[in-house]
Amino acid sequence: MVETTHLIEIPLTVEIPVGPQHPALHEPLLLKLHADGERVVKVDVITGYNHRGVERIVEKNSFYRNIFIVGRVCGICNTVHANCYVRALEQLLDVDPPPRAKYLRVLAMELERVHSHLLILAIAAELAGYETLFMYLMKDREYVMKAKEILTGQRVLADYMMVGGVRRDLDEVKVSRLMDLVRRVEERVKYYHKVFREDATIDRRLRDAGRIKPRDILAHSLVGPVARGSGVKTDVRAQDKYDAYGEIPFNVVTEEYGDSYARAMVRFGELYESINMVNYVLAHLPQGNPVPDERKLPRRFPSNETFAAVEAPRGELTYYVSSTGSDKPYRVKIRTPSLNNIVNSAFVYVDQMIADVPIILGSFDPCISCMERAVVTDLRSGRSFSVPLKKLGGVDG
Amino acid sequence: MRPALLKEIVKGIFMKPVTIQYPREQTPIEPDFRGRHYADLRKCIGCSLCAIECPSNAITMVKVPEGYDVPKTNARRMFPLVDYFKCVFCYRCVTVCPTSAYLLSNEYRLASSVPIDSSSLSLSTVPKMGGV
Repeated sequence: MVETTHLIEIPLTVEIPVGPQHPALHEPLLLKLHADGERVVKVDVITGYNHRGVERIVEKNSFYRNIFIVGRVCGICNTVHANCYVRALEQLLDVDPPPRAKYLRVLAMELERVHSHLLILAIAAELAGYETLFMYLMKDREYVMKAKEILTGQRVLADYMMVGGVRRDLDEVKVSRLMDLVRRVEERVKYYHKVFREDATIDRRLRDAGRIKPRDILAHSLVGPVARGSGVKTDVRAQDKYDAYGEIPFNVVTEEYGDSYARAMVRFGELYESINMVNYVLAHLPQGNPVPDERKLPRRFPSNETFAAVEAPRGELTYYVSSTGSDKPYRVKIRTPSLNNIVNSAFVYVDQMIADVPIILGSFDPCISCMERAVVTDLRSGRSFSVPLKKLGGVDG
Repeated sequence: MRPALLKEIVKGIFMKPVTIQYPREQTPIEPDFRGRHYADLRKCIGCSLCAIECPSNAITMVKVPEGYDVPKTNARRMFPLVDYFKCVFCYRCVTVCPTSAYLLSNEYRLASSVPIDSSSLSLSTVPKMGGV
């Protein structure tokens, strides 16, 4: 007879779904929390609520139409998506844009980084329960939106990139207006930086929330400000020196501690760097015509494959474009930084408080529309593979 | 500990609101903002290039109705009809047009309860025969 020696008590674990519709999350994403009391023991990140099949749409449209379609993958970072795709096309065609166009591309992308970082800092404040700061930050973000409107012709969706250059030029009046707007933004950014450093609410909510060690950053291949917040110095702008980044001086901002507060401070550091870059570009704009005649661009692309990377506001964004010699790409593979940062970061929530989960997610700067994938797992072999949405729906493509 | 934003909030109470009371007030807009555009039928040659290049398939080529006097260069008597509900205002049609036939504006107030397109605007660019 076996004698009973141990009694094992399994603590009660509560499963809490955060999302896909949740007051703290602005985009549809489901975080399935398993909590023991107030402590999170496990998180499942479940995506798939915003799938649009962009990679499939891109295969069915011509190379030039795709420039505008990939810009709509993500509204906040549309110029970096378009820039990455356009640079991939330029590599296919072996075209080099004029220096002025390269500078203007950097200008558009850095303005976009400024408004993207201001947005996520505002959202971080809102998730911390500090809605007043959210409103003030969004008010001053309008200056950058105006600057983008002056430069590209629209506040959000710039549609500014074109093979062999950009789509509109700057004159002296616009340069002086942009300088004036950027000066105002810089003033406000300095003020909000002070608020973030001194305010008790921000300090208590953001500090020690979701701390990531540098080793975990590398093991889970996290990118962008999340990696730089843990002291990992990774930045495609500095490593690849695409467009005019090789000629414009800037620093890669890093913080050592790796919590939500450090990630916010990295974003502030990058705001200063971006503003300095914008000022440098406006002061050192080369002469020449940056706008190519879109009627004279080649219609067919040589059979080849190419790969381009940019530093989006959220991290490294890469495009792989494969051409078979027709006017449509054979395959376009988009790898967005949010996919890495959100899906791979489920380990960060473990042993945190339930109330800190939205703050940690906010500190990763999630962009849900960037990261939707359809993945099918063969349960017998455990093998995963992707299928187009049409096949899933039973429609023959 | 005092909230760091307190001074700014007190200042904000006595400030004019930053929100714009649209549509009672006009929002400031750049003159070269990418807004409503339509084809000038005096220049259009009906080549369909804009309809082929449109990334959102917002442009369809339609026949010019009888009675409108279009130039002889438009032999097929076709003109591009822009569906403003589908249009994403990327201005690809404007930049690929071989005759630069598009007329541009910064009109952004395009909300409507009925579908709106460019037919009446485009047709108003050419005279109607028969004295009407």
